Amino acid sequence: MKKAFIKKSRTVYFVFGIGLLIGLAVLVMYLPDPGRSQEEVVSPYITRLRERVRTGYQEGYEVKPRMSVGYDLMKGGYYEGNEVRPIKRTRDEFKAPGVLRDLFPVSSTGAEVRIRSHLPDAHAGIKFYQQSTCTECHSRQARSFHTDRAGINCRQCHGAEPIPAIKHYYSPMNPIRRHAYVCATCHEGANDLFAQYIIHEPAPGALTTKESFPVFFYANWFMVLLLLGTMAFFIPHSLMMFLQELAMKKGKTGIDILFPLIPHRFKATLRKRFPKKKAPEK
Amino acid sequence: MTEKTYIKRYSKIHRLFHIFIVLTFMNQAVTGFSFLFITTDLGEKLSRLLGGYKTTFFLHKVGGVLMISGFLIHILYLLSKIDRRNLKTSIFGPDSLVPNLQDIKNLSQRVLSFFGFGSLPKIDRWAYWEKFGYWGVFWGMPLLGITGVMLMFPLLICSVVPGWTLNVAALLHRAEAILAVSYLFIIHFFFGHFSLSKFPLNEAMFSGRVELEELMEERPAWVERLQKEGKIELLKAKAPNPWYRVLYFIFGYAALACGFYIIIKGIDYSRYIKLH
Ligand code: HEC
Ligand code: HEC
Ligand code: HEC
Repeated sequence: MKKAFIKKSRTVYFVFGIGLLIGLAVLVMYLPDPGRSQEEVVSPYITRLRERVRTGYQEGYEVKPRMSVGYDLMKGGYYEGNEVRPIKRTRDEFKAPGVLRDLFPVSSTGAEVRIRSHLPDAHAGIKFYQQSTCTECHSRQARSFHTDRAGINCRQCHGAEPIPAIKHYYSPMNPIRRHAYVCATCHEGANDLFAQYIIHEPAPGALTTKESFPVFFYANWFMVLLLLGTMAFFIPHSLMMFLQELAMKKGKTGIDILFPLIPHRFKATLRKRFPKKKAPEK
Repeated sequence: MTEKTYIKRYSKIHRLFHIFIVLTFMNQAVTGFSFLFITTDLGEKLSRLLGGYKTTFFLHKVGGVLMISGFLIHILYLLSKIDRRNLKTSIFGPDSLVPNLQDIKNLSQRVLSFFGFGSLPKIDRWAYWEKFGYWGVFWGMPLLGITGVMLMFPLLICSVVPGWTLNVAALLHRAEAILAVSYLFIIHFFFGHFSLSKFPLNEAMFSGRVELEELMEERPAWVERLQKEGKIELLKAKAPNPWYRVLYFIFGYAALACGFYIIIKGIDYSRYIKLH
């Protein structure tokens, strides 16, 4: 009996062990290669690299600006020879899954703003730029871990004048080389995957975050609801338990002490409908 | 004076786990709070008290590693406690902490009794709120542990996962920490210590024993079961050693004071909390 039992559990362990090993092997095969830190990268996702070779698509930030040939700001495309190539053809840059930042432009002149992201000077032609501080115009960006906790200022990352836009091909902020040119100045050995950390986090509770960073949004609301739910249940519960104990000590029925505010008549009807069983007197 | 009879409720290893988690959790709570509120004077003061930001960070990491190892040891302990012959009773029985149907019944009885209906539930060895607390910590540990390790080695972790997971990890770490602190320092303290018979400090978890009379009121089903199985004689114990008692009273009061300080300050400063 005992021996058979041990034998059985041994086979179970054996099968488990083999399964674990196979699982690990599969995981190792399908995990992307470790990120690189020193060189420029084309695409942060290895799988994307394969995909791009197949489809011929380019990420937005991988397209060199063709200023000399002609760069049509209003139409949102670039000229190649006589042909206008719409910028739509290029893929949006990497983000958290489902992130569509560019669908929600920061200003009312959305189209123009989007295209600014490819300029060598992000503030070219913006009025009163010299007279204002960064946070006056970019108040959302001021709330970030690096700025308000670690005390890093904007220029330590964004650099000196002119501040290049994020997706400009030669910008240090370009995801191709951001890890090496920006992050690695402080985080030694930062690689391209690390640079996908979202510095200017959106407000996690906001509805727009549901589109731009869904994982963040749902994680936040899950935790908030969990906290509120636990508190909303257990705080009244424990208070009531304490009052109940008090009531028991004083020998009153629960209802008298728990609900001193209930009108007398209502209490009486309640009693009638639910008569209390009397405890045997000693 | 007649001697009171005590019943052994927690074994030595239970108490050891408890003291261990009290110490590490207090460490994590204080150092963690100094990060959470680092932009305010509270955070700065705490941080200075603990020897500056870097030392605080170091303490937080050490506490985290200790906690993770404690959790792993606890899991080994749990596995060793499973009786494989009668798996069902050992997992779903009344001596186990796994929630079962009886807990739901007890809960509904208790809630009805608040409104004057029915009688109080007869609670067995573990009450449903104790089970809730246990599983709350049990799920919080891996969550805090995994996200904590991610934030501890961001560069290493990011050689395989993309950086935006760090945003999520940081959010989860903070939110779960706030949840744990508020649960423990409000509700756990309340259930543990806030009752007429035990008020300032509930000794049960430190001495490991409870008076039989008290137990008959609080855990009638357990006492009944023990009597029926004839095990009650085995669990009888003497009163705790007075020197040991002094020791754990000091420890317990210190921990309580620390917890209350943290939760009150936390609520006071809660408007500065940023989850991101
Ligand atoms: C007068 C207001 C103003 C001030 C001051 C200002 N900016 Fe801007 N900035 C803008 C506008 C408008 C845009 C274009 C809209 C956009 O993309 O957000 C822009 C764009 C940018 C971009 C590129 C955004 C992208 O999508 O590529 C960066 C980076 C930037 N600003 C950083 C800064 C920094 C750093 C400072 C402080 C030195 C600063 N800005 C000061 C108005 C301002
Ligand atoms: C730790 C480095 C760092 C600091 C400090 C920093 N930024 Fe950024 N900023 C970035 C990165 C990286 C991006 C690109 C974000 C992306 O691709 O989503 C960015 C993007 C931006 C953008 C483009 C819009 C967006 O949200 O993506 C603006 C505008 C901007 N930063 C302004 C500022 C201002 C203003 C400050 C100072 C309060 C500042 N940044 C501080 C790293 C930094
Ligand atoms: C000017 C220096 C500086 C630069 C540039 C910089 N960081 Fe940081 N970073 C810091 C400091 C300081 C901390 C806080 C470290 C701490 O709290 O111990 C930090 C913390 C972090 C953290 C941990 C956040 C958390 O919630 O715990 C991440 C992730 C991070 N940085 C990513 C980046 C990325 C990605 C870049 C490049 C876009 C970058 N950093 C550029 C200085 C910098």
